[in-house]
Amino acid sequence: MAEKSLPDDTLWGNVFRKDSTVENNIYKVLAGIPIFQDLNRKELRLIERILHKRSYKENEVIFHEGDPGVGMYIIESGRVNITLGKDKKLLAVLTDTEFFGEIALLSEIPRTATATCVTDCSILGFFQPDLVDLMETKPRMGNKVVLRLAQMIADRLRFSNLENQELKMKLSQFEEKSTRKRMS
Amino acid sequence: MDLTVGRFLRFLIVSIILVVVGWLLYELSTIITILLLSALIAYILDPIASYLEAKGITRTYATFIIFFMFFFIIAVASWIFLPGLIRELHTLQQNLMSEDPSTLTRRIEAFITTNLKYFDVKTLAIEEKVQNGISLLTDELLAILAGFISTISIVFIVPFVVFFLLKDGRKMKKTFIHLIPNRYFEMTLTVLHKIDQQLGWYLRGQFTEAFVVGFLSVLALWLLDVQYFIIIGVFAGLANMIPYVGPVAGAVPAIVVTLINGNEPFKLLYIIIAFAVVQLIDNILLQPMVLSKSVHLHPLIIVFAVLIGGQFFGILGMLLAVPAAGIIKVTSSELYNGIRKFHFL
Repeated sequence: MAEKSLPDDTLWGNVFRKDSTVENNIYKVLAGIPIFQDLNRKELRLIERILHKRSYKENEVIFHEGDPGVGMYIIESGRVNITLGKDKKLLAVLTDTEFFGEIALLSEIPRTATATCVTDCSILGFFQPDLVDLMETKPRMGNKVVLRLAQMIADRLRFSNLENQELKMKLSQFEEKSTRKRMS
Repeated sequence: MDLTVGRFLRFLIVSIILVVVGWLLYELSTIITILLLSALIAYILDPIASYLEAKGITRTYATFIIFFMFFFIIAVASWIFLPGLIRELHTLQQNLMSEDPSTLTRRIEAFITTNLKYFDVKTLAIEEKVQNGISLLTDELLAILAGFISTISIVFIVPFVVFFLLKDGRKMKKTFIHLIPNRYFEMTLTVLHKIDQQLGWYLRGQFTEAFVVGFLSVLALWLLDVQYFIIIGVFAGLANMIPYVGPVAGAVPAIVVTLINGNEPFKLLYIIIAFAVVQLIDNILLQPMVLSKSVHLHPLIIVFAVLIGGQFFGILGMLLAVPAAGIIKVTSSELYNGIRKFHFL
């Protein structure tokens, strides 16, 4: 079995060399995020510079329901619970490379749920001011991100419409049934 | 009992910290001024760097280009205006030193007796006021001379600081945000963004307006052949930042200089018309374009801000009082809104 290589000597090692393992991990995470899908490696490197990397402890709240939302969070590592209301009804459990709160990138709306770390987490934050800045300084790249974001929201809207139509149909069928019952 | 002692100790510690911070601020006031001035200049120049970045130039090269352009403009402006400005300052100094103040007052009194007969010259006590004014002006000039060494250091240090703030400002902001605890970090980010949105337009608008009004005033006074036209024009541009009083304060020196230099009522009329035209251009064309009125300040706040600025930092303080009041107003209101929205209060 090959022996695991030792880390660089702290005294003589190249302190300026970047930790490629960490870098690759961030690229892997970012490449999997739909809004960054159209970006090449060089552009992802720029995004990595913009993102805010935060560390959260177990049980630490990322944001509360009702807080003004200004951006999205990407989980680099760890597990996050998304809960609703005071009784903390569990809506979703998100883990590595998953993201949440992306709608807030376009509009400052109150958070609809609470996000709490279940384990120690490393989270990347991408916020509205960063997106605005990106569109001003790198318009081509900003457009790619915004276009993907718009597509994602359009998909969700389409899905919601279909769900709405289905529910309406079910409601009318239910109403028909109950009228027939009453008639008979 | 313990509670009272604890409270007293906390009060004592907070008081000591406040005194130490106050003392440090006082002792480091020159450095703080340099830093604030540099931050203000970098902030005003930031959109140009962002624009160049959007054209595909790196931030470092964009900063170099801005600096090159900035020094080029200063060099050209110095080549055109500096000899005239030095001449003007020299003549002004000579006139202040050599001419007896009573000669000046006699000229003004003669003008009033011939043209404005309904004024009683004696009740105006012009001589006393002119003498007071000259002694004040001399004090101010002496203060400027005393601060000459710090002025030189500012001239060399400020561009250096501006360069790095412009080049690495974004990284510095990110590092600052990184230091904020998780609980407050999203709020800090939002508040900073909102302050930037409001202040950006306001400050850039104020300085653009001051620059254009100053340039137009210099041009108008040069065409009207008014003595010290550069100094008065520049003053008019800077004074324009003070609402209500500023536009009038800008015209007064030109009128006084014309009054002192001779009996030319028509020239006075032309000067008033010229300043009215400059104000008209400012109100109709400039203000809607630069949106400098986006931060609404109550007239009373402006008056007190100008007085406080004058009390602490002299003429420069009076001129920078309005933008400073704007910064304080926007920062405090956005901070308060952020704290309330995020339920920290």
